[in-house]
Amino acid sequence: MSDLIGLFSYEFARNAMLAAVFASILAGTVGTFVVVKRLVFIAGGVSHAAFAGLGFCYWLGANPLIGAVVVAVLAALLLGWLGESRARSQDAMIGLLWAGGMATGIVFIHMTPGYAPSLMTYLFGDILTVSRGDVHLLAALTIVVVGVLALFYRSLVAVAFDETFAAVQGVPVRRMTTLLLVLMALSVIMLIQVVGIILLIALFTIPPLIALMLANRFLAVLVLAVGAGLVTSTGGLLGSYWLDMPSGPAIVLFGIALVVLVRGAVWLRERLWLRRMAWEPGGARSGQAAGHQE
Amino acid sequence: MSKAVDPDAVLEVRGLTFGYEREAVLRDVNLRVGGDDFLAIIGPNGGGKTTLLRLILGLETPWRGSVHWSRALVPGAIGYVPQFSTFDKNFPVQVRDAVLMGRLGRGGLLGRYGRADYRAVDRVLEQLHLDGIAAMPIAELSGGQLQRALIARALVGDPAILFLDEPTASVDAETRQVLEGVLAELNRRIPVVVITHDITGFASQVKQIACVNRQLFYHGSGKLSHSDLAEAYGCPVELIAHGVPHRILHDHDHQHAHAHE
Repeated sequence: MSDLIGLFSYEFARNAMLAAVFASILAGTVGTFVVVKRLVFIAGGVSHAAFAGLGFCYWLGANPLIGAVVVAVLAALLLGWLGESRARSQDAMIGLLWAGGMATGIVFIHMTPGYAPSLMTYLFGDILTVSRGDVHLLAALTIVVVGVLALFYRSLVAVAFDETFAAVQGVPVRRMTTLLLVLMALSVIMLIQVVGIILLIALFTIPPLIALMLANRFLAVLVLAVGAGLVTSTGGLLGSYWLDMPSGPAIVLFGIALVVLVRGAVWLRERLWLRRMAWEPGGARSGQAAGHQE
Repeated sequence: MSKAVDPDAVLEVRGLTFGYEREAVLRDVNLRVGGDDFLAIIGPNGGGKTTLLRLILGLETPWRGSVHWSRALVPGAIGYVPQFSTFDKNFPVQVRDAVLMGRLGRGGLLGRYGRADYRAVDRVLEQLHLDGIAAMPIAELSGGQLQRALIARALVGDPAILFLDEPTASVDAETRQVLEGVLAELNRRIPVVVITHDITGFASQVKQIACVNRQLFYHGSGKLSHSDLAEAYGCPVELIAHGVPHRILHDHDHQHAHAHE
């Protein structure tokens, strides 16, 4: 334990912890919308497209994160504009952005003189290299994203649940969906810091999946997903420290282990509940059954 | 046809033509819904029933023609009960929260739910016998309970008209009974429009019938003739056999609703 306290006397460890907290807040809140609205592959396309911006700014010598933010938001706006009504072109466009972004980024990094060690960092993430400046940027983005989510919360949830009904109620569904995509693009940038482009889909999906197994109200799912994100990222981080593994894959694998564990626990609880029902047939309270979100 | 809006009509559809891609699904549809109407819109699958509803709700823009509302349409004034297939049944939401979304139209984009909203939800939950399962996730509801929850969501905004899109025919006895009572009471104040392929569930309440199959054939009497149905369906026999009140009408003029008045 003193080992751990010693670790946090280093600035890089504190920065890593803060980055993990901000990433968990975003993975939990925005990720829940991404999972229930089935935007997971759009998130994948946007994150890989962001690599083009990373590479460009790397080549310019500017902060690569700025380029990533700009390209990710542009990609989100493009996909939002194509919309679900043109599902086929949107789907194909995801593929185009995905590969095109990676190709552009690699070309720019190739053009940059000298060895590019940070290429791997952006692809697989290295939370231990997060600088104090990055932490400030992450904090600002987190405040903006969560603030906008809170502001439009009612309409966003209604659109996520039932688009047609929300439209009849006068909610601008297309604009709300595009807003959600932009918030997702901003969150993607943060998750790139923690687990990298290739693995960040895991942070968008693992915490909401865990939360959806445990709660049946949207707000409760959001809060639990943030918690699950914190457990996943800190647990993975500590695991990587003890087992001397790269941090990104450690976080992802720890998260997946957590999903399996929680699913098992929910299954067990259901079995026990069913058995108790069999013993006392008068005590049926169907509202208590858990684990219906697969 | 006069340009002025019929003062007794809540809703008037005029010369509506619309389609997807290049093919017209609806052609020159005219319809008038009066203040105390209980209108059933029936017709074969793919005939354009749901498309007509989407046009009326403003979810699609017509190629030609228009939809007129008698009063300025404030958000929340349209009560809408969608088909089960249009939303995710596994969405993490309890009955009470789902019904609360019916108050969304009030208060605008940045609004928050207030005490009046929660009181309205409690009232409508009781009215539809849902108060006992208000905290249940919708994923665990039976078909009938879900149907009632969707109707509660449509009613909680105190709408000026209620649309039901294919309410399930196979609902439990409690739902059927509650539904009948609620719709009858509602129909004393506002018009009710039911889109259905199975009119038998509402046979005792329906006052007007419109058959939609590319065109709209209107029957102000709420009674159908063999020839009307034959025209709309091609094969009407099964529907008649289910006990729809019908008689042979010789003098019907089915194209324009206004012609009946």
